[in-house]
Amino acid sequence: MTTETTVVGKSLPLIDGYEKVTGKLKYAGDLPALQRMHHAKVLRSPYAHARIKHLDTGRAEALDGVSAVLTYRDPIIGTKRTCGQVWTDPSFNFRGPLISDEVCFVGDEVAAVSAVDEDTAKEALRLIDVDFEELPAVFDMEEAMKPGAPRVRPWGKNYLDSSLFAWGDIEQGFKKADYIIENRTTMGNQQHAPLDRNACIAHWDSEQHLTIWTSTQALFWLRDAICEFFELSPRQVRVHSTPTGGSFGLWWANNFMFIARALARKARRPVRFSLTRDEVQTTVKRRERPITDIRLGVKKDGTLVAQSHRHLLDNGAYGNKFDPYQSVADLYTTEHGRTEFIGVSTNLLTAGCMRGVGDLTLAFAIEQAIDLAAEKVNMDPVEFRLKNVWKTGDILHTSQEVVFAKLMFNKEPEIRLTSSGMHECLRKGAELIGWKDKWKGWNEPSAVDGSRRRGVGCALSTHISGLPFFGYNGIVIKVNSDGTMALTTGIGRMGQGGDTTQAMVAAEVLGVKLEDINVIDGDSEVCPHTMVTYGSNGMHMVARATRAAAEDAKRQILDLAADALEANAEDLEIRDRRIFVKGSPDTGIGLKELMSKPIYEYLASPEIIGRASQGVDFTKSGKMMIADFCEAEVDTRTCQVKIVKFVAVHDSGTIVNPAVCENQVAGGMYQSLGFCFTEHLVFDDETGAILNPNFMDYKLVGPMDMPDPIIHFVQVYDQDGPFGAKGIGEGVTCAVPAAVAAAVRNAIGVWINPPITPDKVMAALHRG
Amino acid sequence: MKAITLNINGEKCRVQARPHWSLAYTIREKVGLTGTKTGCEMGTCGSCTVLLDGQPIFSCLKMAVDAEGHEITTIEGLEKDGKLHPLQQAFIEDHGMQCGFCTPGMIVAGRALLDENPRPSEQQVREAIAGHLCRCGTYARIVRSILHAAEMSQNR
Repeated sequence: MTTETTVVGKSLPLIDGYEKVTGKLKYAGDLPALQRMHHAKVLRSPYAHARIKHLDTGRAEALDGVSAVLTYRDPIIGTKRTCGQVWTDPSFNFRGPLISDEVCFVGDEVAAVSAVDEDTAKEALRLIDVDFEELPAVFDMEEAMKPGAPRVRPWGKNYLDSSLFAWGDIEQGFKKADYIIENRTTMGNQQHAPLDRNACIAHWDSEQHLTIWTSTQALFWLRDAICEFFELSPRQVRVHSTPTGGSFGLWWANNFMFIARALARKARRPVRFSLTRDEVQTTVKRRERPITDIRLGVKKDGTLVAQSHRHLLDNGAYGNKFDPYQSVADLYTTEHGRTEFIGVSTNLLTAGCMRGVGDLTLAFAIEQAIDLAAEKVNMDPVEFRLKNVWKTGDILHTSQEVVFAKLMFNKEPEIRLTSSGMHECLRKGAELIGWKDKWKGWNEPSAVDGSRRRGVGCALSTHISGLPFFGYNGIVIKVNSDGTMALTTGIGRMGQGGDTTQAMVAAEVLGVKLEDINVIDGDSEVCPHTMVTYGSNGMHMVARATRAAAEDAKRQILDLAADALEANAEDLEIRDRRIFVKGSPDTGIGLKELMSKPIYEYLASPEIIGRASQGVDFTKSGKMMIADFCEAEVDTRTCQVKIVKFVAVHDSGTIVNPAVCENQVAGGMYQSLGFCFTEHLVFDDETGAILNPNFMDYKLVGPMDMPDPIIHFVQVYDQDGPFGAKGIGEGVTCAVPAAVAAAVRNAIGVWINPPITPDKVMAALHRG
Repeated sequence: MKAITLNINGEKCRVQARPHWSLAYTIREKVGLTGTKTGCEMGTCGSCTVLLDGQPIFSCLKMAVDAEGHEITTIEGLEKDGKLHPLQQAFIEDHGMQCGFCTPGMIVAGRALLDENPRPSEQQVREAIAGHLCRCGTYARIVRSILHAAEMSQNR
C-alpha cells in the first residue's frame, strides 16, 4: 500500500541547516557562561586497577579560585544501586559510586575540582597528593572468565549470566547436516570519536532543583538516570539536551555529566565540565570488542539446518551489556538454533553501544561463517544467501522484544518479521557491483595485475528500527494563528536529521510546507516523553506518534473548517495550507484565515493543539535490511588494501528524505571502513592504557581516503511504519566490515579480522 | 594577561589573553564567536579553520597573541547583511552536512579555495578539505556543495 505524498520522499533541506552553515547552532560547549560559573577538571587514574592508599586534597582546596574538590569521601556522590544486575532501567552509568576509592581502568576518575577557570582547576589537580596500591588487573576477556582471575571491580562478577536463546533441537540439527562449519572471529576496539568534545553545565537553581545542559541523544534517560542515581524526582531535574556534534552512541548518561552535577552541588555555583579530546577518546566509552564462535550445519544442496553462536563482548570496566541487539542472529532461518551472549568485564576503558552495536559484531562473524558454508558446498555466496536468508513472516527467536517480555513480564511471545526486502537488496547489490562478471568462484580473485589482486565480497545485516521498551512517544503540535506550527518532541539531534524528518511527517499529514513548522526539542520539562534516540527508532517508532499528533490536529482543523464552510468534516481535505471540499477545491478556506478568524461564541480566534502519547506494540517492530558489496584491491608487495568500489543497498521501507538517508548510509560506510583499517584503540599490553588518544594516531577516514559509495534504496512499504518507513541510522554500519573482509579474502585467499593492517596482511600471506 | 586587539570579521575586538591561549580558544571563549569549533585542539580535524589574511589556518595551532595585526575571518563573517554566502546556500541545498560540527571549518576552507580558484575540479576540492574530518562521513555531499557554490558564484 502506498499513498501519494507531497512532502514525504523529497530531499528537503534540513530545518536547522541555516544554524549549521552560519555557526549559530549551539552545541553544549558553545553555551554562554552562567553568572558565577566555575570550570571542572578531573584527576584520573594512571593504573588499570588500584586502590587509593592515601589522598590529601588540602593544598588543592587552599588554592585561590578553587571552589570544590570532590573525592570518594564526599557524602554527596551518588551510587548506582543496581550495579551488576541486568538492566531494565534507563541508566547506562554502571559505575557503582560516582567516584570510588578503587579505580578500575586507566583514566578512571580519582578526584574532581571546580575552579574559577580551567587553568586554575588544572593547577589544583597538580596539588592533590595521592598514593595508590596497585591491584591485579585483567585485560583479556577469556582470562577474566577463568576461575581465580583477578576481580575487575569491587562489585559484581567479571562476567554476566549469559543471555541464551534456543530453538528446535540443536544436536539433532547438526546431525542432519552434511557438513559442519566452525569458525572464530574477533574485531578491534573502535571509538565513537565524534568531532565535538562535549561539555556539561550543571546548575542548582535552588536547593531542590537542578538544571543540566549537555549534548546528548538521550534527553529523558539522562534525566531519569540522574534522578535514580541521586535519588531525585523528575520534578527536581530539568535537562536541556543540545544537538550533539556527532554521538554514534557515545553521549547518553555519562559519568562526566554526573560529576558536573555533584561539583555544582558542593561548590554551590554553576559548574561547566568540558572534556578534552584525550578524555573523549579514553575515558567515556568505546564499542564492545567481540570474540565469536560459530557453528553452522549445512546440507550438500546448500540448505542451512542448524546454527549456534557464542558471542563474548568486552564490556571494559563499567559496561553492562548482556544482550547486544542481536536482530542479526535470526538473519538466516534455520529449524534448529542456539545463540548465547556473554558480557565480560576487563580493566580497560568501559565499552558500550556504538552505532550498529551487536548487529555489527555478530554480522561480521555470521557472514564469514556463511561464506565458509557456501564455499564448502561450492555455491556462489549470493545464491547461498538468497536460498537461506529470512523472509517476511519468519519467526524471530532472539528478538529483543522477546528478551524484554521475558525480563519484565516472564512471558515468551512469538514475534514475526513484519517486512523484508532482503532478497531484492541482494539482487540489486549484485547487479550494481557487477557480481556476475567479478565473481569468478572460490579461491579465484576477480582480477590479477602483477602484485595487485582484486576481489569482491558481499555481506548482509539487519538492525532494529527501535525497541518498544525504550518508552512512550509523546508529540505536541501547536497550530499558530497564521497557520504555522510548533512541533514539540524529545527526539535527539545528532546529525540524523530527526527534527527535519519528524516535521516532514507532520507537514505531510497537515497539508502544509516543511518551513511552516518549527521544532521545539531538548527540554525535559517542556517536551513530552520521547524514546531515547537510538536503535534507529526515529522514523519507525517516534514518527508514529508524530503522525498521530498531526492527525489529531488535522481532525480539529477540519472540524473548525466544517463549521466555517458549512460542510461535513469527513468531506474535507487539507492541502497546500488550505482546507477544501473533496472534489470541489474552490469551496474552501485558507488555514491562516481559518486560524485567525474569531469564533462568534467565544469572541476569540481558536488555538489548536494536536497531541499523541503512545507506546509501540512490540509485535509491530520492523527491522531494516542491508546488503553491502565491496570490491577491494590488495597489493601483495606493499600489503596495502584499497577499496575500489562499495555498494550499499538498504530496505528501510519508505525513504522519507532521500538526501538525509544517503548521508546516513555514506557515513555508516566511512565509519565502518575506518573500523576495518585504521580505527583501532591500541591498549598497552602492560598497563592497559590507550596509546593513541587523538586523531593523529587514531585515524578517521578523511575526504581523500575512500571512494564514495553507490547507494540504492529498496523501498518495501512497512505496514506499521509511518508512510511505510523503517529505521536506518545504525544499520548502515553493520554489514560493511564483513563485506570488506570477504572481498579481501576473495583477493588473497585469507580471512583477516579488523583492523586489516599491512602487517596482518603480510603475516597472512606468508602463512599462505 | 596581555591586552590584545584582534581584527575579526572587520571588527576590532579587544581582549585580555594569556600567552598560551590559542586563537581558537580566544575567539570562542573571550570574543564569544562559537561558530569556530575545536574538535581536537592539535591541528588534526580542521573544525577550527579560520582565514588569516585570506589564508586558511587551524586556529587551534595559532597563538592569540600572534594573531594581532592580521585580518581574521570566521564563519560568522561569511553572511553579509542577512544574505548567505553561496557556499552556505549550497551546503543547505545539497545537504553538505549532518551533525554540522565540521561545517563551519569546511565552509571557511571552501571560501579560501574559491577565492583563489573560482572553478576548482573535484580533485582540487578534495585537496582543499584534505585536512578536515567529517565523522558523519558527508564527504560526497560536501564536495558537491563546494562545486555547486563555485557554479552559483560564477552565475551571479
